[in-house]
Amino acid sequence: MESFELFLNSYFLWRDPMIVGVVAGAVCGFLGVYVVLRRIIFVSAALTQISSLGVALTFYLGAYATGALSELIHPFVLSIALTALAALFFALKRDFSRISREGVIGFGFLAASGSVVIIGDRITQGAHDIANILFGSAVVVDPKDVFIIPAAALGVFFIHTIFYKDFIFVSFDEDSARLFKYPVRLLNTVLLVSIAVMVAVCTRALGALPVFAFLALPPLTALFVTERLKLVFALSIMLGVLSAALGYFFSFILSTPTGATMTVCAALFFVIGLAWREIKIS
Amino acid sequence: MSYLIKLDEVTIGYEKDGILGPVDLTIGRGRFWGIIGPNGGGKSTLLKTVLGLIPPVSGVVRTHNSLTFGYVPQKDKFDPIFPASVDELVTMGRYSRIPPGRRPSRADRERIQHALTMAGIIHLKQRTFRSLSEGEKQRALLARAIAGEPDILVLDEPTASVDVKGEARIMELVRKIKAEQGLTVLMVSHYLNTLTQHADMMMLIDKDRSLFQSGTKEEMLKSESVTGFFGMNTSKAPVE
Repeated sequence: MESFELFLNSYFLWRDPMIVGVVAGAVCGFLGVYVVLRRIIFVSAALTQISSLGVALTFYLGAYATGALSELIHPFVLSIALTALAALFFALKRDFSRISREGVIGFGFLAASGSVVIIGDRITQGAHDIANILFGSAVVVDPKDVFIIPAAALGVFFIHTIFYKDFIFVSFDEDSARLFKYPVRLLNTVLLVSIAVMVAVCTRALGALPVFAFLALPPLTALFVTERLKLVFALSIMLGVLSAALGYFFSFILSTPTGATMTVCAALFFVIGLAWREIKIS
Repeated sequence: MSYLIKLDEVTIGYEKDGILGPVDLTIGRGRFWGIIGPNGGGKSTLLKTVLGLIPPVSGVVRTHNSLTFGYVPQKDKFDPIFPASVDELVTMGRYSRIPPGRRPSRADRERIQHALTMAGIIHLKQRTFRSLSEGEKQRALLARAIAGEPDILVLDEPTASVDVKGEARIMELVRKIKAEQGLTVLMVSHYLNTLTQHADMMMLIDKDRSLFQSGTKEEMLKSESVTGFFGMNTSKAPVE
């Protein structure tokens, strides 16, 4: 009870990271439904690592940049640029010279992860910063994140409200969409780039681990619980929000790493969802 | 234009690997075409080439302007992870007439209801597609195909893994749709009996024997290729 009071009294400390976490949980929970239904969970894993690489590169290049160049080398700019490029590559490139798509995604994930660790070894801030990028700090966030992440989320929700039927159509039955002369490649690209942009801005604020968790676990849990597509989206958003909020709360109370605690909360919901499903079908 | 679809010197296949050709074919309005051949014989590849889903390796596929397809793919094509309801599935069939960024209108909803009713699955519309029986799935896919008021109905193995009663219901529904809407039908099957009962035109395709023949059902049943393909004489006789 004392801890809870302390938490409430520390409102000024957690307000900003809570806003960022909850918005990231909501939008990643929503986008994650596409990630899971299209069976591209490892695309999102690769994108979060590539986004981390963008952030790590910013630290590294920042030490050498001067003048106008230093303004350009901003974590958001590099992170969004690299992640969007990777998303475009995965959306547009279908033929990988007889190597499976999964193989190329694995390459992207591993190359980015390795590079982040090497760059981490070379930057002055050192291992602590890199650990924050990879596993999430989210304890405090840049004040700009409180505006940037909700603004990006609003933009993504706006696009997805207009093209909801079309994104579902190309995700479920690409052949029929092409038969009906839908711009399948463009729709797939917009869908993946919207995921990439949110991954980039959220990874910068929260770290790769919780962002990947929000993209994968809430939609999987929602699919255990309901068989209505629109409810899957609604429930996934709700679970993303709850994972972020409860994760932040428990990390505050228990003094555990914030990103990891958010991830464990999402994983606990997954276990509850799985148990619900098993009980329902038994 | 006297044809709906015309194939000129078309070689079918994937990317640069042709599997069969050249194929010349003209599909006119109101006909029921049966496409028959062995498993892996190139039937679905031909169908996808006709639909424009895969480009021909060589040659030209011409289609009548603003031709609308109603497509019934093989039912295991859809990933069961997707919790799409029957209503959502059939609504997608209407998207041939609803451009990107637009939602179904009231008239679209009425047409979708009509398709569900015609296929006899209105009571299943809230169920998920993946939870349906094999026969119900095929009727849902047929409802989806007709929801877009197509000019041509394309069916890829619609009676595969369906029991005899289910097959009869599906084919009766196809016959009814064709009669009421005056559609052209293009149906792939490896059941000769099913096709001879309903088709008036037939194609025989077997890429391993570099074989492609087309003509009226009567011509094709007399063809040595059909006899050779099935290893028996084929003829049509009324069932007592």
